[in-house]
Amino acid sequence: MYYIAFIIALLLLSGCTDKLVRVMPYEKEHFADPKMSLSPLEERAEHEGHIFLIRESSAGGDSSFQGGCGCR
Amino acid sequence: MQIIKIIAASLMMLVPFVNSYASNLKDSLSIGLNTYSDNADVQVYSPTFSVMKTLSKNLLVGFKMRVDAITAASIQNGGRPRVSDTVIGASAKSGFDDVRYAPTFLLAYEEGDNAASGGVYYSKEVDYEGKAMFLNYVRQLNSQNTAIGIGLSQSYDTWNPAILRELPKDYRNESKVDFSINQLISPTFSMQLVYSYMYSEGFLSSPYHYVIQDSFAKFENYPDKRTGHAFAIKGVTLVNDLNSMNYSYRYYTDDWDISSHTASVEWLKDFSDKFTSGLRLRYYTQTGSNFAKDVGAYAVTDQYFAADYRMSAFDSYDIGIPLTYKPSMTSDLKYSLSVDYYQTSDNAYIKSWYDTNYLQAVYTTFRIDYEF
Repeated sequence: MYYIAFIIALLLLSGCTDKLVRVMPYEKEHFADPKMSLSPLEERAEHEGHIFLIRESSAGGDSSFQGGCGCR
Repeated sequence: MQIIKIIAASLMMLVPFVNSYASNLKDSLSIGLNTYSDNADVQVYSPTFSVMKTLSKNLLVGFKMRVDAITAASIQNGGRPRVSDTVIGASAKSGFDDVRYAPTFLLAYEEGDNAASGGVYYSKEVDYEGKAMFLNYVRQLNSQNTAIGIGLSQSYDTWNPAILRELPKDYRNESKVDFSINQLISPTFSMQLVYSYMYSEGFLSSPYHYVIQDSFAKFENYPDKRTGHAFAIKGVTLVNDLNSMNYSYRYYTDDWDISSHTASVEWLKDFSDKFTSGLRLRYYTQTGSNFAKDVGAYAVTDQYFAADYRMSAFDSYDIGIPLTYKPSMTSDLKYSLSVDYYQTSDNAYIKSWYDTNYLQAVYTTFRIDYEF
């Protein structure tokens, strides 16, 4: 059932409304700043993603790929 | 079948109307060194290397290599660094116990508002072989204020235990589907929603962990299937020209009755035109699995046994300092460094297996990026 809610959300966002155009092209300069990235240090994100998979029992929510290993 | 339905429904929505614009693909080279060290006598040194080369303005090929040089109690002594191992009978030694090689080949294509990438991953270590493939597609909408994405990965891994033991199943296969939505809220604020569906099957416990009580010893045994769901919301805000705040929350739940909450917040500040640093805090809490009992409470007739603390309830926190250095605004070079301290709460499973009340670790990353 979880994915149904998510797909409905996707449908609502898939270009149906101009209300989601909230930032004009000339207003986007700040998003080029590395500290405005959702994952500002790529190397740390990959390394800790692997560590948290090994040290904790949860996964996902990061839209990135982590290959398997024998340490978990 | 559920996965196929999800993918089909999503791809129907994502049928692109292709525009011809220049892409953001760039040639780049990166080298790095990551480390991990904890009080369970595990040390890992991981050199990394990646090269990305554009074949045209829309197409890029890449190769990434990670090598993990590992000193680990799980290899030396069944995972019990301070306890004599009656099952394996191995003894601790000095030097690296295992080296894991993990190359990844990838291909990326961008055109207009559409970006697709895919690749294959392989890893080899002394007792485990991993093979995986992954695909990602992102479509920009609403004048590039909205981006929706789907990511798929499938792995086919094989166990080859370093001890003489025949496993009930020697494989672990994992599927993962990620849906993401990014939305610009204002010129200084963006958000992301992510949903992940995960399915694992095969031998899902460790071949080395075992439960030992007064009258019996049993290797760990978990259910051979697991389905998990994760929901995450993330945001980043520019507080002013020099400061930004990055925050995220994730809820995870699965059919082993493990659920968790993860919250993270990171502050970043430009200390000069060249240096950016800050502070990151992360908190994690999880419930135990429905088959994990209190330490010492297992019965020989039980179907499932767990010795791994990750099957029990515990908390953890992480404090980290990131640092980036760019020699000049126009430089093609960038240096990134991070140091993090990680600690779990007191846990009876940790005490039983590692002979310490909690785990604590320090991990670091260092990378040099060069764009050419």
